Amino acid sequence: MRAAGGSDWKLWPASAALALFFVLPLGYFLVVSFWRLRSYKLVPTFTLDNYALVFAEYSGALAFTLALALVVAAVSTVLGFAIAYMARFRAGRWGQVILFVVLVTLFGGYLVKIFAWKTILGTNGVLNNALMALGIVSEPVSALLYSPLAVVITLVHFLLPFTVLPIYGSLRGVADTPLAAARDLGAGNMRVLRDMVLPQCQAGIFAAFAIAFLISVGDYVTPRLVGGPDSTMVGNFVESQFVNRLNAPVGSALSYTMLAISMVVLFGFRAGLRAMLGPR
Amino acid sequence: MQTGMAGRLGWGAFGIVVMAFLLSPLVIVVVFSFGQNRLATFPFGGFTLEWYRALFDNANFWTALKNSLVVTGVTGVISTITGTLAAMALASMRPGRASAAMMMLSLPVMIPPLVLALALATSFSGLGLTLGLHTVIPSHLVFTQPFVILIVYAQMERFDFSVLDSARDLGASPLLSFFTITLPIIRPTLIGAALIAMSVSLDDFVITFFTIGNGMTLPTLVWGMLRTSLDPSINALGTLILVATIGSSVIALSLTRYRG
Repeated sequence: MRAAGGSDWKLWPASAALALFFVLPLGYFLVVSFWRLRSYKLVPTFTLDNYALVFAEYSGALAFTLALALVVAAVSTVLGFAIAYMARFRAGRWGQVILFVVLVTLFGGYLVKIFAWKTILGTNGVLNNALMALGIVSEPVSALLYSPLAVVITLVHFLLPFTVLPIYGSLRGVADTPLAAARDLGAGNMRVLRDMVLPQCQAGIFAAFAIAFLISVGDYVTPRLVGGPDSTMVGNFVESQFVNRLNAPVGSALSYTMLAISMVVLFGFRAGLRAMLGPR
Repeated sequence: MQTGMAGRLGWGAFGIVVMAFLLSPLVIVVVFSFGQNRLATFPFGGFTLEWYRALFDNANFWTALKNSLVVTGVTGVISTITGTLAAMALASMRPGRASAAMMMLSLPVMIPPLVLALALATSFSGLGLTLGLHTVIPSHLVFTQPFVILIVYAQMERFDFSVLDSARDLGASPLLSFFTITLPIIRPTLIGAALIAMSVSLDDFVITFFTIGNGMTLPTLVWGMLRTSLDPSINALGTLILVATIGSSVIALSLTRYRG
């Protein structure tokens, strides 16, 4: 009954959907990045001009986007680890409540969350009102909204549930007994964390960082709504190549350059994580 | 694990701050959807349902709601079927192969939504297809089925396959044993997985925006309202979206006991 061949067909519908609406479109989209645009029509050819244009015009935007995504991914992963660690080891029965809140905020409200931050951080927003009422500032801080900081705060808020869950998943596999034994032998909390807990949840930390980094590197809605002119990200240029200039080849070259650089960053992060947390 | 008094206070404070950070933006949207103040500032003004009335008077809202219900409903049903079948196949594989297959099928969730959206839009237009709900639905299928697979697979790992073997030994057909044994056991999980898939689909903005053409769903309506004016009925619409997505996640999580 459980022999492999018998139920292989069950994988077909999902795989067919993946092939037709993921693999093929992305493959075609990659091919388009080597094509040319002539009077708003795609012309099949092989040119690297689109990539040349990307490096000539968008290196600055790529660097800014990578830096911002690295900050967002780092903050979300560290906070996500702290929340997962608290839920697993420190919060007792509150751990389940924390986890439930995190899960519930994962599945909804992408635009609503961005919009909420816009009302919180605005000049007349809730935060400025509170700061003024408390006498901390005398006039509204206008730099809260429409700044890279607003993008970071909004993205961290959106991505935190995505980082808590994979880390919590790997922390669940960490056995309590060896940790207690290490403590009985005199190891402090930090030592136990560094030498025993962290090495065992490398996979969860990597998954958390990867998803936070990939989603923020490609986001264009958050910088558009809360970012202001100084925080235009690659996603905004990709979107404008499509929507305003109808230039799929350049948009595609920009997307794939961004994805390729992201892969390099993630490989680097993985190597760094191994070097830091691996056996010594 | 033992924790000192100071440590316990520290973690308690951290927990409260984190929960406030996660929840307060959502609470603010809900609160201001009932406030008389046109701008989302304090003082809050009095209680009013005016913004909901304005929203329900907006013809676009009903069009968007209808489209969202169609997309979410059809996507939910199809991705529950494809995802559950895939999860059953994965459960009968060796763990190494199963996690590799799971990784492949989850790729659509890992890629930036904008890239997938543009790849789909470019492909549809390359094929000469007109955009509409029929192009949105298969696009939603690829990024909702991974959630179904993940949730159902987690349940299947705990599933006692020997029960099925006995049924088959006693002469039950695969179909009969599925409907009389497997389905009743995994039904709550399936409903939960379907609800999660539907929340994810209902909330999607980026992929919908690029694959729907001239149509609209609730999130693309929010986008339009955000770009034109700071109309307080956005708060009302946002509240309805939150109630639908968070409400169905709460039901789903209690049904499946899935915790990450």
